[in-house]
Amino acid sequence: MAFRTHVLVCAGTGCVSGNSYATATALENEIFKKGLAQEVQVIRTGCQGFCAEGPIVIVQPDGVFYCGVMAKDAPFVVEEHLVKGRHVKKLMYTPPEEKSPIPALKEIPFFAKQKLVVLRNRGAIDPEKIDDYIAADGYTAIEKALFHMTPDQIISEIKRSGLRGRGGGGFPAGVKWETCRHAAQHRGVEPVVVCNADEGDPGAFMDRSIIESDPHSVIEGMIIGARAIGCKEGFIYIRREYPIARERLLKALEQARDYGLLGTDILGSGMDFDIEIVQGAGAFVCGESTALMASLEGNAGEPRAKYIHTVEYGYKNRPTNLNNVETWANVPLIIHRGAHWFSSMGTGNVAENPWNGSSGTKVFSMVGKINNTGLIEVPMGITLREIIFDIGGGIPSGRQFKAVQTGGPSGGCLPESHLDMPVDFDSLTEAGSMMGSGGMIVMDDQTCMVDIARYFIAFLTEESCGKCTPCREGLRTSLEILDRITQGEGQPSDVDLLQEISEIMQDCCLCALGTSAPNPVLSTLRYFKEEYDAHINNRQCPGGVCKELIEYIIDPEKCDGCHACVRGCAVAAIMGEVKKTHALDKAKCVKCGACIEACKREAIRKIPRSYAA
Amino acid sequence: MTFEPKIVGILCNWCSYTGADLAGTSRIKYLPNVRVVRVMCSGRVDPTFILKAFADGADGVLVAGCHPGDCHYIEGNYKTIRRMALLKRMLADYGIEPERFRLEWVSAGEGERWAHVVNQITEDVRKLGPSKIRPAAKREAAVPAA
Amino acid sequence: MKTIKLKIDGIETEAEDRTTVLTIAQKLGIKIPTLCHHPLLEPYGVCRICTVEVRLGKRIRMVTACNYPATNGVEVLTNSPRVRRDRKMILEWMMARCGHVKVIEDLAAEYGIIEPRFGRGDDDCILCGLCVRVCSDVVGANVLGFFNRGATREVSTAYGETSEKCIACGACAYVCPTGAIRIENDAALVRQELPLGPLTPIYVPFLQAVPHQPVIDRESCIHFKTGECKVCDKVCEVKAVDHTLEDTIENIDVGAVILATGFKQFDPAAISEYGSGIYPNVLTGLEFEKMNSASGPTGGQIMLKDGEIPKSVGIIHCVGSRDERNNKYCSRVCCMYALKFAHLIKEKTGANVYNFYIDMRCFGKGYEEFYHRLLEEDVRFIRGRAAEITNYPLNEQEAGKLIIRVEDTLIGEVRRVPVDMVILATGLEPVADAAEIARTFNISCGNGFFTERHPKLAPVSTATDGIFIAGTCQGPKDIPDTVAQAGAAASAVQSLISRGEIEVEAATSAVDPERCSGCRICNTLCPLSAISFDEEKKVTVINDVLCKGCGTCAAACPSSAILARHFTDEQLFSEIEGVLYDVRA
Repeated sequence: MAFRTHVLVCAGTGCVSGNSYATATALENEIFKKGLAQEVQVIRTGCQGFCAEGPIVIVQPDGVFYCGVMAKDAPFVVEEHLVKGRHVKKLMYTPPEEKSPIPALKEIPFFAKQKLVVLRNRGAIDPEKIDDYIAADGYTAIEKALFHMTPDQIISEIKRSGLRGRGGGGFPAGVKWETCRHAAQHRGVEPVVVCNADEGDPGAFMDRSIIESDPHSVIEGMIIGARAIGCKEGFIYIRREYPIARERLLKALEQARDYGLLGTDILGSGMDFDIEIVQGAGAFVCGESTALMASLEGNAGEPRAKYIHTVEYGYKNRPTNLNNVETWANVPLIIHRGAHWFSSMGTGNVAENPWNGSSGTKVFSMVGKINNTGLIEVPMGITLREIIFDIGGGIPSGRQFKAVQTGGPSGGCLPESHLDMPVDFDSLTEAGSMMGSGGMIVMDDQTCMVDIARYFIAFLTEESCGKCTPCREGLRTSLEILDRITQGEGQPSDVDLLQEISEIMQDCCLCALGTSAPNPVLSTLRYFKEEYDAHINNRQCPGGVCKELIEYIIDPEKCDGCHACVRGCAVAAIMGEVKKTHALDKAKCVKCGACIEACKREAIRKIPRSYAA
Repeated sequence: MTFEPKIVGILCNWCSYTGADLAGTSRIKYLPNVRVVRVMCSGRVDPTFILKAFADGADGVLVAGCHPGDCHYIEGNYKTIRRMALLKRMLADYGIEPERFRLEWVSAGEGERWAHVVNQITEDVRKLGPSKIRPAAKREAAVPAA
Repeated sequence: MKTIKLKIDGIETEAEDRTTVLTIAQKLGIKIPTLCHHPLLEPYGVCRICTVEVRLGKRIRMVTACNYPATNGVEVLTNSPRVRRDRKMILEWMMARCGHVKVIEDLAAEYGIIEPRFGRGDDDCILCGLCVRVCSDVVGANVLGFFNRGATREVSTAYGETSEKCIACGACAYVCPTGAIRIENDAALVRQELPLGPLTPIYVPFLQAVPHQPVIDRESCIHFKTGECKVCDKVCEVKAVDHTLEDTIENIDVGAVILATGFKQFDPAAISEYGSGIYPNVLTGLEFEKMNSASGPTGGQIMLKDGEIPKSVGIIHCVGSRDERNNKYCSRVCCMYALKFAHLIKEKTGANVYNFYIDMRCFGKGYEEFYHRLLEEDVRFIRGRAAEITNYPLNEQEAGKLIIRVEDTLIGEVRRVPVDMVILATGLEPVADAAEIARTFNISCGNGFFTERHPKLAPVSTATDGIFIAGTCQGPKDIPDTVAQAGAAASAVQSLISRGEIEVEAATSAVDPERCSGCRICNTLCPLSAISFDEEKKVTVINDVLCKGCGTCAAACPSSAILARHFTDEQLFSEIEGVLYDVRA
């Protein structure tokens, strides 16, 4: 049945938590009421990426973008747009500092600069319908890989595309596949392919969104990988905190089996392959390959030494090819459209040697002090400035940009001077950060970099498995030092000690979690050393974050005695009569910031703590 | 004068006969009323031997062998147990008090016990008095059918 | 296997490809500190103290020597400034957790740490995981594991509770580099501290054992409990250990057997008033003998359970012997071994030794003289059977002592003698399965000790031809008597062999085929399977060689067809007639 209009309702986790399912149901009811059920279809799609503005609704083929559509808006939208054909202006996106709304999706700056490869189907298809995926050229690469290419040709195509692992390490996927295939042939042991969907970085949700919006692309990539390496068995290791993603994967696997794309004798080619989903148990370290495999085997998720690689001895000592969700999702397109098409995006000349550059696109999740939080996909080599200011819409409330943290908790913080740096694997590593899996946290001038380092080290201290001495004790001792610096009790020798601890952790830790764990400390020491000095020497926090080093004051000039702050204060630290200037009791104040939020006149400020002589 | 019963003892070679020997070498004093016939095993004891002994005028018969489980021929004495139990039931039909007949186990180390067994059966038979079929013996009755 | 060339600390060497750097360095005598490494376990690489610097081409890496597989052309530095810097910090981190562990402190001193920058913690465990791994990978008990993660990681049993799966092998304590694990003795198991049996599952049965080879005790061997371990297999260079060997039953044809099955020590637990098993310092004769032995658990030192040297020792004679409640016989050896103990205790410790005896039975050559020598050595002899051993003191001198209550029959007084240690001169008993052995060999056993054919004239042969007895299985006796008897038994066997022929039984049974009715009643009676049935002639036949002449078949034959030679019906009838000659007449 053909419909004249499709209403795409975002059903990504962000919009679902904004109650987009209710919006979708309301739209459906309204369409039915208006007798349009035969003409208009509502589709629940994967994440659109513009999570800041959810719930998002797109009307196709008009290409009109509505944001913040609640269930109560449904009658109006249906009446105006679908019945009368008039666009609903008040629900359109209006960029900050502009007046007129932008009706078309592709004209919104957030989308305009993006290059959708992995996320090509986001918001365009129903992720729970395999037919939608097939209609969008899905599973055509399988046909090519199974019947028109030898395993060696597939591997060579992937190598020439320059595809590098999107999980963080940036190891060329084709080289990994080749090693795995050779190891398996050499030892006569059946290899396995594994998809790493244990996305544990705080603030990162790339993999979740890919699976939620296009699960079949991951499955197709894995089938191609299995064909190239010679596997019969595959696993998707997904974290338990992703129930919707898992649900969609399960459905997708079921559908793929029904269509003969998984199981025995796939499409009559004689190839047998199936995928099993394994849920993680909530350990950040399980994203590390050896820990992940230990967890897959049913053991405690702890890493082991990687002097012998998992591609040779991995899951149950079998050659194991582990790639991240995004890497797998890239594979079908590379096979379908060719290595050249892929390597034409991004930096460097990778056709000869995949280490020579970073080809293709990268998905980032953008969070923090930025207007357009959400999920984006950009070509490699784009600058940080383009990402943050053009796509991200800059820093809210007119604040100053201070730093961007890339690569998850063990990535580094880059200062403004690096904003024009191209984003690719090698540049980021050189600058002391890393690509990681694509988390990006933007910080404004009200951020304390020492506190940021402390926050990430605290996270890693929690998540360290504790197996090796340097990681377990190094993180603990780093945290102790950072704690004391943020409390104004730092010693002048602490900076050097932190530096030494960090360097030795890089030398000596057992796994990548440990060796990369000092990155937050090292990058902040490298770019923001003056903030450490301010904390230690002057006992002051330039960002005004560290509670021990600031105090709150009420500006008597601005205070009009509205009493809002008094009602907001949980500890009754503010006194004063209505319409008279209020006073703040510093002894009672816990510096929670509720009064600042409550004050409409910006009369309450944080100032450096004064010390009795 | 007290009645001195005549008792026939049929003893197995390995246990009871040796036990009796031990009683002798140990200089154990016991009553002299048992007259010993040696067989290799108590399993050799055909019930007719006992009947023959009574027919010939014995006042009592004592069969002695190894303790159950200790038989030199492994299980000869088990056969004896079965046979003697049957025989004992028949004795009354012949007019012989069953108490005149006794089956005992005496091992080669039990000289003491041998003396005790002999003393006891002698006293018991003494109380019963002379065998009632003794006159028949005197008439030199035919040997029971073999 | 491929051979590679590499350089360690400037020394050029060759090794098998992928051999660990630690193995190669150890062969060269280069010392690399290790804490979480044990040669019998897979490398774990977590303490990181064995960190070394590795250069391959331009690339410099810090790796752990214990598990880094060397490759061709690699250059290793085991003591470079960077290595020392890294190890020093690792040691400081360890001290932040375990600040008072000797092995760490020693290493710290080696790396010039005077006072660690992160302070000193009070823990003992450096989380090296040796205990966890030995428990799971070697022992297979899987009792220990890691719990929690990060800084709160700890070694524990499941839920921190006592595990029933623990077999108390002590492997975890053995491998622990810091001594964080202690084996606690269960109070009820205290007696096992000085075991009579082997101290380890693998042992040479006794010093003079022939063949002088170790054996594995199946009861205590970890492999037979969990199926894992096999450490002995790994350390045996000639690969002589075979856990698959099974007990097999061998059938050996022999013409004669000498039984020398020995004795069982009387278990003094039967005499509860002596407190054996309750007071740790009350020992049996054999327990003391083991302690006193130079190859025993204490190396021959006489000591109390707390390791102290006893100042006074009581020896109680006739424990389980000459006792109406237990064994009435004299065990023959206790007087003399008790005197030997007394002499040695006096000589080794100078303690006061008290003998509590009924009579001194010093019957052998030189024995009486020995007794007199001890009298002169100031060993005390108190005539009287000890009534009780108690630890309940009545005065200060008795506090903390074992008090022996006894009636001294020479002075006619009840005495209390406080001592530190009591040795019970336990007697000899037949082995538990003596009756079964006797049955197997068709011999008789009186009070548990086997009966000889004749107490004077045939002291080593038995009622069954070809079966001989020697030693304490025949009755309590000391070593010279045992040796003499054993020699006699061996000679008796030798004389059978040297004669070259044996006499078969003449008194066998035979079937008269004319009279045999073929009823086959006798067929099932013969325990020696000497009787068979001739299907052709329909009569029973008896094998002359197998037949031992018991005559059971003859007694059962309803046709009187079986003739028991030398014990025929006629002969026995005549004998009966003969013994009754006086009544028949």
